[in-house]
Amino acid sequence: MNNEHTVKSYEEELQHLTDSVIKMGSLTETQLVDSMDAIIKVDKDSIDKIIKSDEEINKFRSKIDTQIMTLLVKRAPMAIDLRETISSLKISQDLERIGDLSKSNAKKVKPLPLDLPDELLSNLKRLGDLVIKQLNDVIDSYVNKNFDKAKDVWEKDEQVDDLTYIAMESVIEFLSKDKKNLDFSTHLIFATKNLERAGDHITNIAESICYLIKGEYLKGNRPKGKVIQE
Amino acid sequence: MSDIKIKSKNLNVYYGNKQALFDVNLDLNEKEVTALIGPSGCGKSTFIRCINRMNDVIDICKVTGNIEIDGIEINSKELDVVSLRERVGMVFQKPNPFPKSIYDNISYGPKIHGKGESKNELDEIVENSLRKAALWEEVKDRLNEPGTGLSGGQQQRLCIARAISVNPEVILMDEPCSALDPIATAKIEELIDELKKTYTIVIVTHSMAQAVRVSQKTGFFHLGKLIEVGKTEKIFKNPDNKMTQDYITGRFG
Repeated sequence: MNNEHTVKSYEEELQHLTDSVIKMGSLTETQLVDSMDAIIKVDKDSIDKIIKSDEEINKFRSKIDTQIMTLLVKRAPMAIDLRETISSLKISQDLERIGDLSKSNAKKVKPLPLDLPDELLSNLKRLGDLVIKQLNDVIDSYVNKNFDKAKDVWEKDEQVDDLTYIAMESVIEFLSKDKKNLDFSTHLIFATKNLERAGDHITNIAESICYLIKGEYLKGNRPKGKVIQE
Repeated sequence: MSDIKIKSKNLNVYYGNKQALFDVNLDLNEKEVTALIGPSGCGKSTFIRCINRMNDVIDICKVTGNIEIDGIEINSKELDVVSLRERVGMVFQKPNPFPKSIYDNISYGPKIHGKGESKNELDEIVENSLRKAALWEEVKDRLNEPGTGLSGGQQQRLCIARAISVNPEVILMDEPCSALDPIATAKIEELIDELKKTYTIVIVTHSMAQAVRVSQKTGFFHLGKLIEVGKTEKIFKNPDNKMTQDYITGRFG
C-alpha cells in the first residue's frame, strides 16, 4: 500500500499489529527450532527453557487479540485493512497452536534414552527441518506480502505429509525390533504427529496470507501426501 | 439476479461550463438498495437528482445521455415531470416537513396527484404511509399537530411517509441520516430494510458503515466519474479499484 491513512494513528495501529504478528512468528520459529534440536540431540537441559518460551508466545496472542479488538472498535476497518485485521487474528491463533505443539515435543525429550540410533532420528530431523523451513517461508511471505510464496508453502505441505509417513515408518520399524523400545517410541510417534499438525497450522497461515493479499481464498483442495490419502 | 429498474447510459451533467458528471453508466436493480459513496462534490447527489429531474429547475444545468426507468427514457421533453416525480420520491439530508399538520404533510401529495378523493381514502393513505414509515404508533393521536413539532428522526420518517404516500416505485435518499442521532438513524435503516421489499432505493451517504449495512450494491464516485460499482460486500471487502480502496480505508487525499 503506497498511500498512508489520513489518520496517522490508524496507520500506526495497523503497523503495530503487523509488527506483533511478525514478532510472534519469530518467537514461534525459535521455539520450534529449539524443540527440534532438543529432540535430535536428546538435550534434556533445554526442556524448561522451551516450555517457558511458550508463555511468551501466549502473551503475544493476548496482546494481538487486544490490538485487534481496539482496531475493530475504533476504526471499523474496511477492505485491505479489514483483511489485515482478520488475517492477523487467524494467524496468531495458528502460531499459538504451533507453539503448543513445540512445547509438547519438548516435553517428549524427557523419557528419551541418550543413545538413540542416528537412523531412527534422521527421518524425524528431515521432517523437522522441512516444517521449520515452511514456517520460516510463511512468515517471510507475511512480512513481504508475497502471494506466490504463501501459495508455495500451502502446496508444499504435501511433502510434510510424506515425510511424516516416512518418519513414522522408521519409528515403528525400530519399535518392532524390540518391545523394550515401546515407551519412548510412542513419544517419538506423537512428536512426529505434532510436527505434521504444525505443518497443517502453517498451511492455515498461508491461506490467511493469500486471502489477506488477494481477498479470495485459495481454490480447490490442498495437495495431500501419502499418509493422508491412505 | 434482480431486474434493472433504472439504467443510466453515458450520462453527462454540466452546470454552465463546469461538468459535474462524466459518462456515467450505472444500472440500479429493482427492489434493491444502491448506495452511492464518494467525497463531497463527486457527483453522487447530482446523479440521483437526474433520476427525478430535479436538475430541471436549475437554468444553467444541461444533461446529456440517457436515464431509463423500466426502459423508458426520462429525459425526453414529452415526459411529464410531475408524473415522473410521482414515481420517484425523494428524501433529503435535512428533514423538511411542510409547515402544516402531520396529516396534511402526508395527504398533500396524494391530493395534488389526484389520489384519495374522499376523506376516507385520504385517511387510509395517511395511515398506511405512516405505518410503512414506522411512525403511525408514535403520531396516531396527534395527526393535527404540526409536523415541524416532531423530533428530527420522526420528521425524517414523516418525510419518508410523505414520499411513499403517492405510491412511488423509486425512493431517492440524499444523506437521510446525516442530521440524526444513532437511534433515529437505526430506525431509518430498519425502515430502509423494510421499504426495499416494495421500492427501489438509491441512497447517498457519507457513512461507509451505513452503506455496508443498508445496501446490496454500492457505487463509488470521484470527480464526477463512477469509478467502481459492484456488490456492496465485494466493494467493502475487496474492491477492484485502488481509488475505491483508498477512499473506503481512509487513505484519500
